[in-house]
Amino acid sequence: MPKQEREVEEQPRQNDWDLKELMERLGGDEEFLRELLVMFREDARMNLEKSRKAMAERDYELLMRTAHTLKGMLRNLSMGAAAESAAALEVAARETQAGDSKELLEKLGKELEGILPEVEAHLAGVRS
Amino acid sequence: MRILVAEDDAISRTLLERTLQRAGYAVVSVENGAQAIAELVKHDAPRLALLDWIMPEMDGVEVCREIRRRKEQAYTYLILLSSKESKGDIVVGLESGADDYLTKPFNVDELKARLRTGHRILELEDHLVEARESMRFQATHDLLTSLWNRGVIVELMSHEIMRSRREGSCTAVMMCDIDHFKSVNDQYGHAVGDEVLREVARRLHNSVRSYDTVGRYGGEEFLVALNKCNPGSAISRAENLREKIAARPIQTTNKPVSVTISIGLALSAEFTKCTVEEIVHHADMALYAAKAAGRNCVRVAQPPGIAKPIEEQPKETQVLAP
Repeated sequence: MPKQEREVEEQPRQNDWDLKELMERLGGDEEFLRELLVMFREDARMNLEKSRKAMAERDYELLMRTAHTLKGMLRNLSMGAAAESAAALEVAARETQAGDSKELLEKLGKELEGILPEVEAHLAGVRS
Repeated sequence: MRILVAEDDAISRTLLERTLQRAGYAVVSVENGAQAIAELVKHDAPRLALLDWIMPEMDGVEVCREIRRRKEQAYTYLILLSSKESKGDIVVGLESGADDYLTKPFNVDELKARLRTGHRILELEDHLVEARESMRFQATHDLLTSLWNRGVIVELMSHEIMRSRREGSCTAVMMCDIDHFKSVNDQYGHAVGDEVLREVARRLHNSVRSYDTVGRYGGEEFLVALNKCNPGSAISRAENLREKIAARPIQTTNKPVSVTISIGLALSAEFTKCTVEEIVHHADMALYAAKAAGRNCVRVAQPPGIAKPIEEQPKETQVLAP
């Protein structure tokens, strides 16, 4: 599908969403990609909220878990940079490093806020 | 082939499910370790499992430990899914009983290749179990007739006699011998002789209850133990066995062969002071008496001191005084 290839090539690099790698993992199943993105849209927001709440309450155990979950889904969807922020946040939370955790959570929040519109656009069938 | 996927993150789980279904697996998926255990201990549980390392309730490592602790199950090939990369964690995972581990996000080809390894291990295990079962059968059964072999029938009978003594019941011990078997072999050859042995074994086996035991004691000798046998009906049941053999000729590939058996019967309740070997010996003596009385008949071993009048016995079943 030439249209698909062109879209992938034109994909903005700043958020480092490797859609090509993801499509390979999904065996080129566009319908399945949509299904996963719908899940991601909800789960990412929910886990980000949970993480912020855990940070505010200094609940590092919970923060570690939510960061772990985010890391897993981001890696599965080939959202490399955000996944690594989540991984770093998981480590910082495990070591209860307040400063690092706060900083990394902010970074992750920004990255997710960059990715989510892209996901929305993909779901709407329009590239931003 | 069925496979269990235990993963709390919905996206990872869906991704695995779909990938595995595409590869031809029937996927059972759960969201935590406790559910994974519940699925894996079921009777027809999947034998392959992909377990996420970090899950609520019980993590993947704990699931591995629990499954390996339950040794009675058929082998389950366990693969841990981990985003941990340090060597220390890998060692912890493998020492918990996992067979392999896979780093997330997985590569489809690597996942398939690792599952193929799992298949090979499971096949190997199945072959070993099969071989062990076959050897166990051969070690306990007579090769020709598939009845219990001599060692096992004596052992089983001993247990039954001990039990009937505890419970105050009776085990009827019957030594059965094919009459003039040597002439069957001489006349028709050993192949036909074997067919006769197999058919006699089959008829004896089919004529007793499922909780009775029948074994091949020697060449053409069979030992039958009727457990929890009412002493009053033992003779008629022995007669019934004798009749089952004598009633119709045995169809062999060569031609029909008519054979009969003689039976020596000893009731454990009447030999309370005797060892199992002595009871078998008394049944054997009764068998000799049956042979001496013209064969194709039942003789009952009589304990010392109790001599019943011969007239009370059925015509074909006379008491043998020791």
